[in-house]
Amino acid sequence: MVEQRGTVGGPVLTEWFKTPDLHKLDVYESLGGYSAARKVFKEMTATQVIDEVKGSGLRGRGGADFPTATKWSFVPKDHPGPKYIVVNADESEPGSAKDRYLMENSPHMLVEGAMIASFAIGGHQAWIYIRGEYDLPYEMLRDAIAEAHGKGYLGEHPFGTDYAMDVRLYRGHGAYICGEETALLESLEGKRAQPRSRPPFPAVKGAWGMPTAVNNVETLSTVPWIMRHGGAEYSKRGTEKAKGTRMVTVSGDVQKPGNYEIEIGVTYRHVIEELAGGPFPGRTIKVFWPGGSSAKVLPGSMLDTSTDLDGLKALGTMGGSGGIIVMDDSHCVVKAAARLLRFYAFESCGKCTPCRVGGNWAVRTYERILSGEGSQIELGILERVSDGLQNGRCLCGLGDAAGWVIESTMRHFHNEYEEHSLHNVCSVEAALVHA
Amino acid sequence: MTALSEHVLEEIRELPAKYPQHRSAVMPALDLAQEELGYLTPEAMSEVATALQLDPGYVEGVATFYTLFHLAPIGKYRFYMCTNLSCTLRGANEMVDHLKGAIGVHEAEQVSKDGLFSYEEVECLGACEYAPVARLDRRYQVDLTPTKIDALVAERRNPKVEAPHPAAKAADLPAKRGGTRKKKSG
Repeated sequence: MVEQRGTVGGPVLTEWFKTPDLHKLDVYESLGGYSAARKVFKEMTATQVIDEVKGSGLRGRGGADFPTATKWSFVPKDHPGPKYIVVNADESEPGSAKDRYLMENSPHMLVEGAMIASFAIGGHQAWIYIRGEYDLPYEMLRDAIAEAHGKGYLGEHPFGTDYAMDVRLYRGHGAYICGEETALLESLEGKRAQPRSRPPFPAVKGAWGMPTAVNNVETLSTVPWIMRHGGAEYSKRGTEKAKGTRMVTVSGDVQKPGNYEIEIGVTYRHVIEELAGGPFPGRTIKVFWPGGSSAKVLPGSMLDTSTDLDGLKALGTMGGSGGIIVMDDSHCVVKAAARLLRFYAFESCGKCTPCRVGGNWAVRTYERILSGEGSQIELGILERVSDGLQNGRCLCGLGDAAGWVIESTMRHFHNEYEEHSLHNVCSVEAALVHA
Repeated sequence: MTALSEHVLEEIRELPAKYPQHRSAVMPALDLAQEELGYLTPEAMSEVATALQLDPGYVEGVATFYTLFHLAPIGKYRFYMCTNLSCTLRGANEMVDHLKGAIGVHEAEQVSKDGLFSYEEVECLGACEYAPVARLDRRYQVDLTPTKIDALVAERRNPKVEAPHPAAKAADLPAKRGGTRKKKSG
């Protein structure tokens, strides 16, 4: 893209990002790239690969935070037909841009990770489902795959072995819901992207009806490093239970927005103030979304919260996909929540009634509040709609996420909601006018 | 006379072989159709259905689900303006307002009189560190400002003021064109 905004030369994922032309195979390989895949294909068994990754403690970085090795081990070993790795490169969670950053800088790292994952589940084909708006990453991956074929790393005899391997690309066409793994699989099969009910889980019946493991871009991009250095080395980083490093995207009201590689367990204060340059002069941080717009918000007073994934769960929120959205005291929480609800209502696939109907109820209620037609009734509607969207009433998490936006912003900023609904006042904007 | 040209239909008919099941070809096929026509007409969708041996209603169902398929003309240049939260915090709404003036339209989806431009507001483009962001000509335009938008519009409205290839100086262009023509005729 234009200029890298984020970590270059970090401990794991961004280790080589300072090197120019890292997207070219010979450069990637000169630094040690494809040595992990070579070792795996030539010297290891699938069980050994899974054990190594299990030892690393790596958990899925797409938002679900599920142990990667465990997911792979769910794919039946004795299945006679094809098995697939499907790479979720549909990154569309508001505030998250880290998968794009990884693919643009090091496409071969993802290709290598997808190869190793395929080997681990006994599959011979990996499909990268990439969102349609990501033109440049698509082109870079396409070229990287072609280079890998040219070198013979992909094809019938990777690294001289008889373990045939191919990595293919499939482009999405604009739908947030495709980030949800079963909706993604529907889309990959050429259908409208509506989530499936589970069971059966993708490990048993996934892409084209075959056993499938769906992994996020960052998760798979981490795998070559783990195979080069060992799972034990990776697990030295991070916290007791949440191991390793991860990417976060910091955006919004900060001076240095970017994609940063952090050791899990550092505080949000460190990420937002040290890495991302903190708020603009004279401003204070009012609120932040700790892991994409779908994570429940935390007020600025909680900046010392750890990025430890289990700690965030204990707080009722999540590290999610790592998209940290920061908002300072010059912006109105009610307007921000209204904007996000418009997003969730628009992106609802329409399959489950609570999400399809609830999202639009919330949008209309926010519109009344912001146009000065609010009252105590509107506040009550928002609370009821928020509850109706949550608690597993839908097949996927989109409805829950919409509910969490309403619930968490109302809990921490009830005063702003009351001002708007009961008095038609926005003290945030009033302060700006008088400043 | 078909809406899609024969070579595109031929390409579409070859797509199913690339996937484990033929249905997966529907989106790449619609892509090819849209690339040729600019948007998807009912005839084009129906021809895609025939070429892939799918039900026309099914193909239309897929086309209408995804935002990157267009069912009406969009002009030569489409601005996909991100207005999700991270971009809004950095002035995305002001950029949309400015763009409307710059291309002379009142609302999203409207095509400018010269047929060149249209815009839509889109959800997060996944480039939040460069907010506000737009997608245009299959590339991201980052750190948008009113000046930058004006330049993007001007370059496309009047390609001569564009500074396209660093290697080619404006003065060289006529000679180069002449040279090419000679080669072709010879």
